[in-house]
Amino acid sequence: MNPDKPVMARLGLLARLAVGGLFVYAGLMKTLAPAEEFGYAIEGYKVLNSQLSLYAAYVLPWLELWSGLMLCAGIFTRLNALFAGALLVLFEGLLGQALLRGLPVTSCGCFGSSGGNSLAREFFQNLFFLALAWLAYKKGSYGSADRYVEGL
Amino acid sequence: MISRTNARLAALALLIIFSSTVAVLLARQFNLTPDRPAPAFRTFGPADAPVRIYEYTDFACPACRHAAGKIDELLKVYSGGLQVSFKHYPLLSIHPWSLHAAAYADCAGRQGRFMEYAHLLFEGQSEWGEAKALPRQFEDYAKKLGLDWDKMQACSEDPETLHALQLDISEADMKGVDATPTFFINGKRAVGSGQLLDQAQKFDALLRKGASR
Repeated sequence: MNPDKPVMARLGLLARLAVGGLFVYAGLMKTLAPAEEFGYAIEGYKVLNSQLSLYAAYVLPWLELWSGLMLCAGIFTRLNALFAGALLVLFEGLLGQALLRGLPVTSCGCFGSSGGNSLAREFFQNLFFLALAWLAYKKGSYGSADRYVEGL
Repeated sequence: MISRTNARLAALALLIIFSSTVAVLLARQFNLTPDRPAPAFRTFGPADAPVRIYEYTDFACPACRHAAGKIDELLKVYSGGLQVSFKHYPLLSIHPWSLHAAAYADCAGRQGRFMEYAHLLFEGQSEWGEAKALPRQFEDYAKKLGLDWDKMQACSEDPETLHALQLDISEADMKGVDATPTFFINGKRAVGSGQLLDQAQKFDALLRKGASR
């Protein structure tokens, strides 16, 4: 850790854990539920057809879970923070177009059947997490496995 | 060339991916997943009951008909202590009309008569279960209960109805259900009414306590 900027390093760690934790939770809630449930939620955004929505529902939760766990542990931190940020941008795109088109999406599908916030709230919440992903990308190496393995 | 550091990190990443995948698959198999609620019309008993049973059932399955009687008895005896939710798991490879029956039962449920329609389906399963064409009994039962058959037909073709059935089936597959009736009694698996009663005995104290409230 850079001794003159310990606060930023700790904030980076917190940001990494927050984004990682969010992804682990979202991934777990969806991998522990039938993929069709999430597939149906994706279908509601009217971007992919039902078959492609289902394929996305099979893959996406696992990616969220693995990426979240690696982000928490600090393995390939920058790469995973970048990936998490890219996913958040993708989600923002989906939420934004649904808001603009006024689609009747009742559940965002973000956390499986455990429910989720309204689209607008989810949109702004994701902006916050996007900022945290950026912080994790820039300053997330404190207490990471990356650092530990480098020191071996 | 891959540096030693990156190789170590990649090994750690693979370890995390492997162990988390195994953990999730085991959690699914051992039913450690969050409960997906059944619709209100398929749920009987108080919401705060200390014992909760989810039954995966198939209206054309004789063992399910037998179990339905046991469930009725349990609901009567432990009325305050037990909540039962039905989920559909039609065994389509051997029961060609089970999916239709499940859809009609849900549609009867939307008109407030799920249980009554389910009883008629179980009682008459030998008549409609092996039918060559769409069994007329589905309509007969609806009319017997005074249900709006036109509404039921429209409802049975509604994508929302089929989606709800599909979710039940997928959830059952995910939990490793491969026979009906399969019960989850406060999360503990039981297959068939024999195991159901065995498991219910283990929860006897809770059931009695709940029933006496």
